[in-house]
Amino acid sequence: MTARLRQAALASLVLLGLLLTPAVSGAREYLQLFVAQPYLELHTGPGRGYPVFHVVPRDASVDVLFRRTDWFKVRTEHGVEGWASQRDMLQMVLADGSPFRFSVGDRAGFNSHRYEMGLFAGAYGGANYVSGYASLSFNSQLALEAALGQFLGRFSNGVTGDVGLTHVIVPEARWSPFLTLGVGEVHIEPKATLVQATNRTEQTAYVGGGVRYYLTRRIFVRGEYKAHYVFTKRNQNQEADEWKLGFAFFY
Amino acid sequence: METGIRILLLTALLAALPGCASVRDWYQQRAERRAAAQAQSAPPPVSEPSQDENAPPRVIEPEVARRKIKVPRIRSSNVEMGLDYGVLSIEDFGTHPVYGLTAAYHITEDFFFQAEAGRSRGGRTSFETLSGNIQLLTESERRFTYYDLSLGYNFLPGEAFLGRGIAMTNAFYLIGGIGGTDFAGDTKFTVNFGAGYRLVPADWLALHVTVQDRVFQSSLLGATKLTNNLEARIGTTVFF
Repeated sequence: MTARLRQAALASLVLLGLLLTPAVSGAREYLQLFVAQPYLELHTGPGRGYPVFHVVPRDASVDVLFRRTDWFKVRTEHGVEGWASQRDMLQMVLADGSPFRFSVGDRAGFNSHRYEMGLFAGAYGGANYVSGYASLSFNSQLALEAALGQFLGRFSNGVTGDVGLTHVIVPEARWSPFLTLGVGEVHIEPKATLVQATNRTEQTAYVGGGVRYYLTRRIFVRGEYKAHYVFTKRNQNQEADEWKLGFAFFY
Repeated sequence: METGIRILLLTALLAALPGCASVRDWYQQRAERRAAAQAQSAPPPVSEPSQDENAPPRVIEPEVARRKIKVPRIRSSNVEMGLDYGVLSIEDFGTHPVYGLTAAYHITEDFFFQAEAGRSRGGRTSFETLSGNIQLLTESERRFTYYDLSLGYNFLPGEAFLGRGIAMTNAFYLIGGIGGTDFAGDTKFTVNFGAGYRLVPADWLALHVTVQDRVFQSSLLGATKLTNNLEARIGTTVFF
């Protein structure tokens, strides 16, 4: 059994490699930029510590191959490839002389961005809670959010899924509070040692709030509280508190 | 009844939220509109043609068509996905092969998010081996499945050299996070931490060696205790 799995894993790895090679080496149309500053420094790797091994003089052009985090891989007219920093790239110009502009991960981006993703640790109804979320912003204040979570407790385990709206009250503040409201589902699996141990899935609605704190670049901390109302099929509805704290980034 | 009122209130609040978003810009929008109205009512500024005798007469009107630049999208390559294989030592249940999937998103040159899922099998405890026929767990309960969400930090980025001609970027990274482990008929909240080494031979390819500890509480053998499950893996990932 294990040997077969091992073979399957190896085979899929080889397949993955074969599938991806043509995609990576395929010809593409690259953006051509011109050096407007005295020179452009090329580093050997995408990081501040990598040494500068080549400089491109003023008015020479480079092709932008791709971007990784805040670094751009560029190719000079002579075919030299290296990494240029975001700060240097902001001084480059397009062929018509207009400045090259792109999305920069900074405070302005924190105030207003399109996508957000993050992961949290916390508590859900007293159980340990692991959660992740993604959001799509309509403007700097209003966003549509989807969250998935798993709670792992002493008496029950379960999975939660939420969809809702988030309203950021003061988006430009570094400590930025928000309100959230939405609906979801919870799947509860009581531990087998208890009586009436049947799994159940219930509809929920929640209201909550939290705060975001901008750390650096594209990263921020997010703490959140949600009061869930679980609409059970029994006479009494249930309530569950969700507390969580985690890291998120925007794009 | 009480819930009914709550739902009603929640719905009302939900309906009000999108409205709030536009309220913020009211004053600004009104000010802009007023300024626009003033600009319209004001007489257009009369540009006096230069009557200066000394100025040279303009003979040629330059008619240069400004070139339109098409800016192709720059490909972002921040996502790393791949497979890994290694050994996992499950506390009390022996060391067995483990295989898994990894996906990472590089946020900055220093930090990345990583999601992992893996599967292994627990063997027989020494108690089971010594006592003969006693089975603590069924075969399906011995399956060890985990997932985690982690944050990684590229601790010591550098370059590795292969002979004179080849240089590859690399990094040691520290990683830690939380997740769940499904083992012995129960899913346990699991904390993981560890370190790894990433070698990047090509821009699209990376090789990994990772050592991680997965810690969760278990009361399988009587007393409740924290179990440490050490894992060592090698892996290949592809950047997208």
